[in-house]
Amino acid sequence: MRIKPFEYHAASDLREAVQMLSEEGADARALAGGTDLVLAMKHKAVLPKKVVSLHRITEMAAINTEGDEIKIGALATHSELAAHLELQKVVPILCQAVSLIGSWQIRNSATIGGNLAHASPAADSAAPLLALDATLVTTSPSGDENIPLASFFSGPGATILHPGQIIKEIIILRPQGRSSGRYLKLMRKRAVDLSQAGVAFQAELDPAGEKLAKVAIGLGGMAPTPIRAPEAEGMLEGLSCAEALKKIPSVARAVVAATSPIDDIRASAAYRKLVAEAFFKQAAQEVLTSLTAG
Amino acid sequence: MKIPIEFVVNGEPQALFVKPNHTLLDVLRDDLGLLGAKKGCGEGKCGTCTVIMDGKPVNSCLILAPRADGSDIITVEGLADGEPHPMQKAFVEQGAVQCGFCTPGMIMTACALLDEKSDPSEEEIRLALSGNLCRCTGYAKIVEAVQVCAQRIQQDKGA
Amino acid sequence: MPKIQIVGRSYPQIDGMEKATGRTRFASDIKLAGMLHARVLRSPYPHARILNIDTSRAKALPGVKAVVTYADTPGIKFGPRSDDWTIFADDKVRFCGDEVAAVAAVDEDTAEEALELIRVEYEELPFVESPLEALKPGAPLVHEDHPGNVAAEFKVEAGDVDRALANSHVVCEESFYTNQTYQAYLEPMGAVADVDLAGRITLYAGNQIPSMIRVPYAKALGLTLDQVRVVLPDYGGGFGAKMETNTHLVAMLLAQKTGRPVRHFNTRHDDFIAGNPRVPMYIDIKLGADKEGVITGKEVKVIGDAGARIVYSQIIVATACYRVDSLYRFKNVRAKGITAYTNTVPTSCFRGFGNTQATFVLESAMDILAHKLGMDPAEMRVKNSIGPDSVSVHGWKINSCGLKECVEEATKMSGWAEKKAKKRPLKGIGLSCCNHVSGNRAFAREFDGGAGIVRIGRDGRISVYHGESDMGQGQKTVYAQIAAETLGVPLDWVSVMQVDTDISPWGFGSFATRGTLMGGNGVLAASKDAFIKLAQVAADMMESNVDDVVCEGGRFYVKGSPDKSLDFKEVALNATDSNHGSPVMGTGFYDPPTVLPDPKTKQGNISPAYPFGCQIAEVEVDPTTGKVTVTNFVAAHDVGRAINPMALEGQIQGGVAQGLGWTLMENMVTNKGKVANANFLDYLIPTALDMPPVEPKLIEPYEPNGPYGAKGIGEPAINPTMSAITNAIYDATGVRITELPVSPEKLLAEMEKLKGSHEG
Ligand SMILES: Cc1cc2nc3c(=O)[nH]c(=O)nc-3n(C[C@H](O)[C@H](O)[C@H](O)COP(=O)(O)OP(=O)(O)OC[C@H]3O[C@@H](n4cnc5c(N)ncnc54)[C@H](O)[C@@H]3O)c2cc1C
Ligand code: FES
Ligand code: FES
Repeated sequence: MRIKPFEYHAASDLREAVQMLSEEGADARALAGGTDLVLAMKHKAVLPKKVVSLHRITEMAAINTEGDEIKIGALATHSELAAHLELQKVVPILCQAVSLIGSWQIRNSATIGGNLAHASPAADSAAPLLALDATLVTTSPSGDENIPLASFFSGPGATILHPGQIIKEIIILRPQGRSSGRYLKLMRKRAVDLSQAGVAFQAELDPAGEKLAKVAIGLGGMAPTPIRAPEAEGMLEGLSCAEALKKIPSVARAVVAATSPIDDIRASAAYRKLVAEAFFKQAAQEVLTSLTAG
Repeated sequence: MKIPIEFVVNGEPQALFVKPNHTLLDVLRDDLGLLGAKKGCGEGKCGTCTVIMDGKPVNSCLILAPRADGSDIITVEGLADGEPHPMQKAFVEQGAVQCGFCTPGMIMTACALLDEKSDPSEEEIRLALSGNLCRCTGYAKIVEAVQVCAQRIQQDKGA
Repeated sequence: MPKIQIVGRSYPQIDGMEKATGRTRFASDIKLAGMLHARVLRSPYPHARILNIDTSRAKALPGVKAVVTYADTPGIKFGPRSDDWTIFADDKVRFCGDEVAAVAAVDEDTAEEALELIRVEYEELPFVESPLEALKPGAPLVHEDHPGNVAAEFKVEAGDVDRALANSHVVCEESFYTNQTYQAYLEPMGAVADVDLAGRITLYAGNQIPSMIRVPYAKALGLTLDQVRVVLPDYGGGFGAKMETNTHLVAMLLAQKTGRPVRHFNTRHDDFIAGNPRVPMYIDIKLGADKEGVITGKEVKVIGDAGARIVYSQIIVATACYRVDSLYRFKNVRAKGITAYTNTVPTSCFRGFGNTQATFVLESAMDILAHKLGMDPAEMRVKNSIGPDSVSVHGWKINSCGLKECVEEATKMSGWAEKKAKKRPLKGIGLSCCNHVSGNRAFAREFDGGAGIVRIGRDGRISVYHGESDMGQGQKTVYAQIAAETLGVPLDWVSVMQVDTDISPWGFGSFATRGTLMGGNGVLAASKDAFIKLAQVAADMMESNVDDVVCEGGRFYVKGSPDKSLDFKEVALNATDSNHGSPVMGTGFYDPPTVLPDPKTKQGNISPAYPFGCQIAEVEVDPTTGKVTVTNFVAAHDVGRAINPMALEGQIQGGVAQGLGWTLMENMVTNKGKVANANFLDYLIPTALDMPPVEPKLIEPYEPNGPYGAKGIGEPAINPTMSAITNAIYDATGVRITELPVSPEKLLAEMEKLKGSHEG
């Protein structure tokens, strides 16, 4: 439980950070809130030679909701996101999901960038961000690169980031029509638990407010990485809310068909599926009803 | 090996050389002799190490020592201002203290909550404290203590 | 006598503010000059032969002061109640977490680094995880000298069970399983050990039995009893677990080897895998009743899992066999208990000591019978309730007993009758009763009771010495209240001193809900002795008769003339001066009227007083997830006279929280011999949000054997919780829970099955 010695640097800007990280290659780690990394170092699951703290790069913590592109700095903490008034209006599903992460203390340190980069299949910010079609802006010594979140995860705990590449910010396009979203998380206690199944349902109406222009379903803890359920989404897109409400049971089956959860000490695969189906129904019901209500 | 940090702990500026592989909790307990914050797990999972860092409760066992550079830290030792803090009084009077091992962390979170929201509901109190485990009290008297403290602070303000 | 003023009132803990301000020095806060830090290398295998241990590289690491293994110990077999312990694994490791080697170094970083340099060659052996498997012929043997892995057997019988069951109107026959749970005190186990030039060891350890642990520890180290001194700092909870542990012996051995103080505390992970979790039990019950709901007979078979060595599991299994028989007017009972060795973490005491497991089973069976008979479960309890001034089937003498009142109050408070009558889908209400002890004659054979020393200094300060252990339950405050009351002084004149076995009386410690009754009676006896001595001086000063002297609020006066009074402190000064500096010393002890059970018939009387209780839970079941939410909880407990109502309420609320956790979430999962969830994210204990309102109610019949009429509360607070909740789940869903904890997934599946069977 003691951490092995390593070299520590607090980078003063982005360039310095990526420079330092790329020098050490795979032996270096970026440090954000540390709630995953420090624990992993205590468990000797990762033994970095060098740790580069990003916390001095204040611009990386900014949240900008002014334009059509909502920009969330990778260092924004879950507490900051959950309490952000504009985000609560535009993408409540994200605020709601991150407010369920860990404890208050954890949320005060833990960042959204760290949550994504740690790449837990059950990461609570991932399912809603997938459903919001988020794009990651990454930086490395060779420049910036935009990566759609949908192609970011490559396995449990793995991403396509290469050493020296960090997430700078997360971009979400402001929904054009009226939208609504809901995230439901299966926990074994009422608070402070990792998700055994997370279901994000986000829907957007066309400008006329009649048909579902966009439906997105993000799932956490249901596959080796957070995933979308495109077939299920397709079944609802283009329908009116009333029509969609009727189709919920069959869509729910399609959602489950997209998943491949595991059995572990936290939950069995069968139970995860069962609850994911029920959660999908509940989330879809709530979202579609609220869109109908106008 | 060791690197210099400067930070403020309970209002006092501190300049120290710390090992990067130590945590803020180690620094408080071993370097500064502030033994109020406890190590119940060292994994961010019990809350006994909770301190206020730049106004927010955090798990000091998960914060690398050098990250504390430039920060403002308040530990349970820094709450009493000549006399015990109203939260400390309320905890004692309401019977919210049994073994007391969770108490310093619990009180730090509770104080941070009232700083953020002066009249939290019972549900909000329970939610805020859910990262602080207590195995002795069943939380009932802890929640009461926070409510009593909130009321007293309100009354004092009103008076 | 002046009226009772201090006993019976809710005082905050006398050292509460020290705790709340962070000033209390807990066991893990102790730092001694020159102190070294220890770490233990634990077995990664559940069962393996040790072929070779190479510590040379670890020893060579700068900063390492000692590396020890079994070869460095006296090699003596020992144990609290057995001889199956060694300080480190001898020829083989018997569970994942078994101690293999330890390092003392200048700091924790170095100690941990050194562990990685120790090379151990193992030959893995077949292992056994479950007691049922362990008892099968041909199972791998945990201890070669215990054929069949039988660690202990226990039998008890009274009356004619077979006839009683045969003649019953209804019989419940059911198998139950109670799982392994972890005490989860917030401060891990550990100690600081110091050694003087004469080789005498001082152990600073948060421990429930500071006097008793010296016996096996001295034996293990080949020392005489006087060479082991224990000092008891404040510590962060115990709940039964903090008794004998190799964690302490590692520190002691390393202190011997290095001649320096050594600190050794478990990491939370080590505490999970090598602590003393609850004894898992398979319990089969047959319980019969006549038409009127009167219990006819009961038979139980218990198989308990000791893990890889015996801590107290065999006494816990014996307790599960028969303690609960003093809850009702049983006449015909039979029980058989087997304690089996397995290659898992040794199990031991956890609040309730086997009576929790048995209460879950009996009170589930009572619920089953009540439903079979179409009878109100509350009414059935009252009908069978043992009464005050009665003798149970095993000879136990029940003096005070408020069981019926507990049921009455709990049902009233919860609105039981209306809620039972109005069935709401997926909502349920359940009830359970319990009994317990206030001391256990069968636990320590040497003697029973408690003792105290009360010192009154020249300054009038009162110091109370006891030999029990305040692990947070507020014992010190209760002792201070008893002393202050008896002496007639304000509470804050009294200090309750740290237990130091060089100074304090020999106390058996804190277990068996004995602290208030046994330790309290000891303090009471010493306080009375001190009072008489000081009152004599006061009487002389007032030229009166000692029998006529009383003290109230710190002033002595002669009965009838309170206006002419003497300051207690003045009397103390006078007393000490006339004794040339010797303080007034009161000593006293309590010899309880208990009877060691007969080895054959088990007839006896294990406690001077028996507490009772009744708890009622209300639940709501989520039909999509199968999750159970406890929405309301009432707990009425017969505690004898309450010495400190607030502390009692806190004990009840804390006990219920642990019971709720056990019922709904707590489970140590062992996978391929390893604890798979050894952390607080996967071993789930309730958070503030998981707790419903818990309304305690104190029922206070005067207990003639208790100090100021008091009994105890610690363990009864949890005993009925599990079955109160599972009986409520039955009420809500029709699903009978026979296995703890309640798995939402299984509950859901059972609910589906019931739906199917109703529709089909
Ligand atoms: C008690 C506890 C409870 C928890 N509960 C939850 C929960 O309910 N839900 C949940 O999803 N998670 C939970 N977590 C996990 C964790 O808190 C989150 O994943 C958190 O968001 C991680 O963020 P961080 O800033 O602490 O990351 P860090 O620990 O600093 O970093 C994590 C990883 O990401 C890398 N990294 C960090 N920032 C960047 C960046 N900008 N670019 C590239 N790489 C980066 C680091 O190098 C490291 O490998 C819990 C953890 C704990 C200890
Ligand atoms: S010690 Fe930091 S959360 Fe447990
Ligand atoms: S008072 Fe003991 S853990 Fe909270």
